[in-house]
Amino acid sequence: MASGSGSGSGSGSERWSEGLETEAAMAMETTDVELLKRAWRNEKAAPEILQFEAALVLRAREQIQLLEETLEEFTENGVDDLVVSLYQMDLDRTLFLLRSYLRIRLQKIEKYMIHISKTNLWNRLSEQEQRFAKRCTDIMEKHLEQSVLSRLPYGYQSILKQSISSEEDDMVPEPQLDTFVFCKTKSAVGAFQLDDTGDEIVDLVADDLYVLRYKSIKGLVEGGRIDLV
Amino acid sequence: MAGQSNPDLSVFSAPEVEFLAEDEMVEIVPNIRMEALNMICGDYGPFFPQIASKVPLWLAVALKKRGKCTIRTPEWMSVERLTQVLEAERESPREFQPLPFHYVEISRLLFDHAHDDIPDLYMARSLIEDIRDVRFHKVETGLETISGRTHAVKLKNLSAMEVNIVRPFMVRALQAFYKHDSPHLIQQPRAMGSRQPQVVDRGPRRDLRPR
Amino acid sequence: MAFSDLSHLWHRQTNKKWIYLIMYGRRASQLLRELACSETGQLTTFNSDAFDQVIKECNEHNLQLQSLIRKIEDENLDIQTTRNEDHFGAVIHHLSLIRNKHCLMAYMYNRAETIQSLRWKVGPVLPQEIQEKLNYSEEEYFKNHSAAIESYMSELDLDLTVDMVPPKDPYIRVRVLDDIGEVCLGDHSISLTKHSLHFLRRTDAEPFISQGIMEEFLE
Repeated sequence: MASGSGSGSGSGSERWSEGLETEAAMAMETTDVELLKRAWRNEKAAPEILQFEAALVLRAREQIQLLEETLEEFTENGVDDLVVSLYQMDLDRTLFLLRSYLRIRLQKIEKYMIHISKTNLWNRLSEQEQRFAKRCTDIMEKHLEQSVLSRLPYGYQSILKQSISSEEDDMVPEPQLDTFVFCKTKSAVGAFQLDDTGDEIVDLVADDLYVLRYKSIKGLVEGGRIDLV
Repeated sequence: MAGQSNPDLSVFSAPEVEFLAEDEMVEIVPNIRMEALNMICGDYGPFFPQIASKVPLWLAVALKKRGKCTIRTPEWMSVERLTQVLEAERESPREFQPLPFHYVEISRLLFDHAHDDIPDLYMARSLIEDIRDVRFHKVETGLETISGRTHAVKLKNLSAMEVNIVRPFMVRALQAFYKHDSPHLIQQPRAMGSRQPQVVDRGPRRDLRPR
Repeated sequence: MAFSDLSHLWHRQTNKKWIYLIMYGRRASQLLRELACSETGQLTTFNSDAFDQVIKECNEHNLQLQSLIRKIEDENLDIQTTRNEDHFGAVIHHLSLIRNKHCLMAYMYNRAETIQSLRWKVGPVLPQEIQEKLNYSEEEYFKNHSAAIESYMSELDLDLTVDMVPPKDPYIRVRVLDDIGEVCLGDHSISLTKHSLHFLRRTDAEPFISQGIMEEFLE
């Protein structure tokens, strides 16, 4: 089944530029399922939410819909059960990946909604996710407000700050970027600086497995140069 | 969220690792004629009796279950190769031999669903088990060498299932060492109105030890 | 995580004054102990007695804090620079209050996380025995949160509550363990005699498997 072009939908077109990596990968005959699997794996393993793969999700959904229609035709035309069941499995596998990918993102939004909405992570969400995050935040705030905060003394009622004397928001759960992740290099990255000071350099060779601090390889993950496993 | 426990510690469930392994390619020999399958995950076939064809493992197993093909045992699963690998694993206590990233799951799926296609089934099965044991032992002893100076670890050739098993302990250990090595990450009590100056997080010193 | 990371308060000082602080924080820490003792994903009944008492403690701390500050001001001392016993007394009440707030928030927040996970595990309607464990605000929270997920899914036109685990072959090879007899499956009927092998839809086979009269057949 050929990959759709991903054009045609007006929404979020500014995000298409993010798909350049994706386009490049497609040129190397990587299927969308392969790309979806990578996005799913990275999203599962990364502590913070990653850029929403808008174009990829759109293409995957087009292909899913097409296959669903084809399967209906098959059944009507009495195509061999064997063939139907094989295509059904292909469909089930793709649907699982898509659903699980979207679910992990919702889970991260649920966990870090306040942090996400205060930082530029907000731009990584799809429009629908942004609406979901907004709604979740309102609901959580209302809940904590009526059960705890409104019953505390003046000066201690903020959801973001411990008390009025805190200068910054010190009560917001944030993803732990210091955590260690397992990652695989796709191609040689070369000498890579692990910290700001340049004290620690590691030579990341192709197809090797490392355990590193997420913070130090964040850029490589976002740029699609390294995969989390 | 159901089925998705603590994201820091167990990233993939065992069924999810198996799901990933099912996309690895294997060779089948069909006994039927079937048109090409143009699937979302790729195009496979057309299939002709006695003509080998490459398909993902899940498709191979599905066809095998329906009695439509035999699965060719991958080259690395031959008794000869496995014997070599086992020997090499035993000889090099600090290195892992190159095997497919999903060797544990692939071999298990084949043992479960295509046992009659595997030459020397029992031998192959016990070799894989031995290899797994030797490697797990190596992983365990490797963990003992993690110290306050270990802030990056290279695990050449470690497989998916091994990664999954070692992950919770490894991440927690590295994190603990990292934290204790960075005094500024250990919170100090704050007095009213006074705040610590913000420290730029440079992280502690790292030491990359090849394993 | 700011909501729960308070360990530093416990270790720092062995000064006797801190013993009072530990007493102050005790009830709140019981709430957290309750969280820590329950299994992940499991809820205990909302402890409204302890919860209300901690809220009360907070307000008492505040009264004490305010009166100490007033005392410093009445003595015409500079509130910013004074470091007398009243100042340190006020600090202790402030920190105790913050600690209690942390515990209350951690209690509610962690429960809320469990409650939102129920939408995925249990569905949009909670069974009575779970419902009984929630307080009013939590019941409302569950409904609102479910509705948020619902509306996200309907915007997407995709149900995300299915496919929680990776899919398997929709067909399965089974061995019949008991004489079941003639059974109608979909548009055809088959005879399920003891020891016979069949290739069935997983969904058709599952009821028999759970009754223990059929098993998946792996060679």
